[in-house]
Amino acid sequence: MTERLRLSERIAMLEASQKGDMVPASEVWQLVDAIKEVFGEKVDGVHGQTSQLYHELGELAKFINSAKKELQEVKESNIADEHLPNANNHLDAIVKMTEQATSKIMDECDRLGMFHADLRERLLASEPPIDPNVMAGVDDAMTQAETSITHIFEACNFQDITVQRIQKVVKALQEIERQVLRMVVVFGLVENEGKLDEATKAELSEDAALLQGPQLAGQGLEQDDIDAILAKLL
Amino acid sequence: MVDKNMRILVIDDAQTMRRIVINLLRQLGFTNMQEADDGTTAWERLGQEPYDLIISDWNMPKMTGIDLLRKVRADDKYKATPFIMVTAEGKRENVIAAVQAGVSNYIVKPFNAATLKEKMVKVIGDF
Repeated sequence: MTERLRLSERIAMLEASQKGDMVPASEVWQLVDAIKEVFGEKVDGVHGQTSQLYHELGELAKFINSAKKELQEVKESNIADEHLPNANNHLDAIVKMTEQATSKIMDECDRLGMFHADLRERLLASEPPIDPNVMAGVDDAMTQAETSITHIFEACNFQDITVQRIQKVVKALQEIERQVLRMVVVFGLVENEGKLDEATKAELSEDAALLQGPQLAGQGLEQDDIDAILAKLL
Repeated sequence: MVDKNMRILVIDDAQTMRRIVINLLRQLGFTNMQEADDGTTAWERLGQEPYDLIISDWNMPKMTGIDLLRKVRADDKYKATPFIMVTAEGKRENVIAAVQAGVSNYIVKPFNAATLKEKMVKVIGDF
């Protein structure tokens, strides 16, 4: 078996041959074989890559089919049509309930304040007059009660914070609902297309500024941090 | 000394929060509070009568607190009115934006009467 020349050597030989010398047919065939070999390898490589691509496409197709089935299940389980809107309704109900409850708590606090004032007036108007030391004790107790009422009002801050957080969750759910519906439409369940109305998009866009809910613990700045910034800026 | 009968405009789209702020102001001895549920309504109220202090939420529909602040500061009639921002937004960029817009002080929710008083004292003087 003759020693095989490297491709570069064979090309060099061919180039040399083109300068005038005749190239033996056997060498030409050697060169062709070499080129075929090289391109054959490349073709094999491309084929390998193509196979890999087909494989990836196949996996993607499987994934899409799987997603489609899951979306079909989503559709059948009414997640987009029913569950997500229901979740929003429940959250709206929580907002209303906390608002009503907080309002009731504050109403009662106001009434307590009025009762205290009324009680004090009655005690001051009583005959015979109440011992001033006793009255001072009553005033102290009422002041403490007023302080407690103020603390109750302060604690009612929770309602506003809760509402803002819930509004954030509602917006997130609406976005999920919209995206699920969009995917359902993309996968051919066209009857849902009408639900992707522009008004919803416009509404979501309009409310974008309100998406920023209250900061979570560890996020944003605390009052002390803000005071430090204000001290530098104001 | 601060006049406890000074006119204070409390602006928040949440009725609960308006009530809390007004109650805390009452506990601090103030007696003359008005309220508005967004910046647009507040702007209308400002046009109707003068106020000595504005306490406003940031996130509101129609006109936000920061937009109201900019509008107030851009108007010669109101630009000297102390303006305290009360908001759940504690982001540094928000604080800086508020300062750039001319805020007098900035309170992060939730807050208490002591914090409200402390900020008011810085803005309108001791009481």
